[in-house]
Amino acid sequence: MLRSDHILATVEMIQKENLDVRAVTMGINLLDCRGGDVRETCRRVEEKIGTVAAHFVTTCDQVSQKYGIPVVNKRISVTPIAFVGAGFDRHGFVELALALDRAATAVGVDILGGFSAQVEKGMTATDREYIASIPEALARTEKICASINIASSQKGINMDALALIGQTVKDLAEITKEQSGFGAAKFVVFCNQPGDNPFMAGAIHGLEEADLVLNVGVSGPGVIARALERLIHTKGRDNLGLDDIAEEIKQTTFRVTRCGELIGRQVSKEMGIEFGVVDLSLAPTPTVGDSVGEILQILGVDVVGAPGSTAILAMLNDAVKKGGIFASKAVGGLSGAFIPVMEDAVLAEAVGSGALCLEKLEAMTCVCSVGLDMIPVPGSVDADTISAIIADEMALGMINNKTTAVRLIPVPGKEAGELVSFGGLFGASPIMPVRNVGKSRRFIAWGGRIPAPLHSFKN
Amino acid sequence: MGKQMVMSVMSKDRPGIVADITGVIYQLQGDLADLNQSVLCDYFTMILIATFDDSVTPEDVVAGFSHIRSETKLEVVVKEMDTPMEVAKAKRVKETYILTAQGKNKSGLVHRIGLFCYQHGINILDLATTLSGDQYTMILQLDLSRVTSVDTIRTSLTHYAEESGLTVVLQHEDIFKATSEISLF
Repeated sequence: MLRSDHILATVEMIQKENLDVRAVTMGINLLDCRGGDVRETCRRVEEKIGTVAAHFVTTCDQVSQKYGIPVVNKRISVTPIAFVGAGFDRHGFVELALALDRAATAVGVDILGGFSAQVEKGMTATDREYIASIPEALARTEKICASINIASSQKGINMDALALIGQTVKDLAEITKEQSGFGAAKFVVFCNQPGDNPFMAGAIHGLEEADLVLNVGVSGPGVIARALERLIHTKGRDNLGLDDIAEEIKQTTFRVTRCGELIGRQVSKEMGIEFGVVDLSLAPTPTVGDSVGEILQILGVDVVGAPGSTAILAMLNDAVKKGGIFASKAVGGLSGAFIPVMEDAVLAEAVGSGALCLEKLEAMTCVCSVGLDMIPVPGSVDADTISAIIADEMALGMINNKTTAVRLIPVPGKEAGELVSFGGLFGASPIMPVRNVGKSRRFIAWGGRIPAPLHSFKN
Repeated sequence: MGKQMVMSVMSKDRPGIVADITGVIYQLQGDLADLNQSVLCDYFTMILIATFDDSVTPEDVVAGFSHIRSETKLEVVVKEMDTPMEVAKAKRVKETYILTAQGKNKSGLVHRIGLFCYQHGINILDLATTLSGDQYTMILQLDLSRVTSVDTIRTSLTHYAEESGLTVVLQHEDIFKATSEISLF
């Protein structure tokens, strides 16, 4: 029997706290689309996506209407494209990107991810052609996101790929300089990239996955922030400890995750495809009140970046997982609090005031998901320095057996402190200063690999 | 299958009412199929369904209740059911929606929401209200199976909310089960 207080608590969450399902992402295997040449492959890719995802967006909308909970983003992830286009040159990969873009537009999804490769140990000739195609492919498409896995705890870090990627990020920003380097916001570099992540820009349909699968990313941090404010207001700050706060986060996450699971399973049932995982990530949006930074402030630091920020984030991240894992049959993806600077108004503000620096962000990514994300840096920062920043973040993921990622935007023609805005979900932020620019050149010049680390003697 | 009767009992609340009522049915060798009881502001009410032997009449059941000795009087109505049914196999509504309406207390709130439901072909399966300070809360469990479009109802509810000044939310029952119960759907 449903109890009135439970009903009202849920109504409060849905109505006042803007509960939504952040992303429903349909994973599609494209390995069976390979044709004899680029043209035939592109045709098959478009045909398959157009067929299997024909009713995806309308089904999401119908389920969303039935349950009265918005599904904010409908997305597609595909098999890392370097596998599909094995043997293609860079022009072939650009053609594939254009085909994917047409397919995504035809079925009406917001974004398509999986223009990707996995090169954590070594690169094939195809992988090099794929990397060379990235700037043009992303500049000429609207809905395509790219990602590359260049490191893992099992294989180490591919430093040859890393060196290429620093330059790729620069080229991406340069080729889209009319849009303040927006191309770089659609490309993310990973260590330990999961194959079932529903969030962009890093969503792929991993090789280990079934033909079709549906993954769900749950609601944002706004719900947690409002729940904490209500708890503090009701109980009084002096009567609460951090364990009470952690408990509230757990319970709220439980309810939020359940809604995501319900919607996801319903969409998957209606479409007759397998339900994959719920990703428990707290993904902020630039909307005021939907910020991970705000939660940190509610929990006791006046500005994000102040001492204590890392500890609070660690507790938040852990409590979210504990609540969510019990709520869902299968959890996967990135599952952690994101701290993407441009997409989180409070983090962007902390960058503007100088409270939050790159090094503190790096420290914070040790205890949360997913890495140095959506950070605009001066366009004058050189490719080797960008590679070295990525190397540091990859090392954190490799040693700590977690996913880390980097999405830097070297904004052409702009310097630290100047504002850059991409609008919509991509947000805005002052450009973050980078210290010690140009001092890592000899390190990046080595190339080769950083060997896989030990998995014992953990200190 | 014998004679199926529906009984309604109301009384000022006291310990022992359930034992008294079911004692009467037991003595008449009735088979109790289902019941629902509620207490509101110290008043007790219960609705029951039981099957009796063909020789038992509704008058016999009322007489049984009238023999109960207590300080509180039991108001009883007994009717033989027009179409007897097997309670265990009774059709349950497949899916229901929960409507919550909250706002400042004034007269006619429940009537207006009842009228809204009636005008839109919605059957109210359950209704509970609470008054806290001057805030009135209504929670209704609704059967929308006769409704062709939930979207139309949502649009009408938005107008209704604007006119009445109430905050109205309509959600599928599964949402509340998912967020409040441990077991996964």
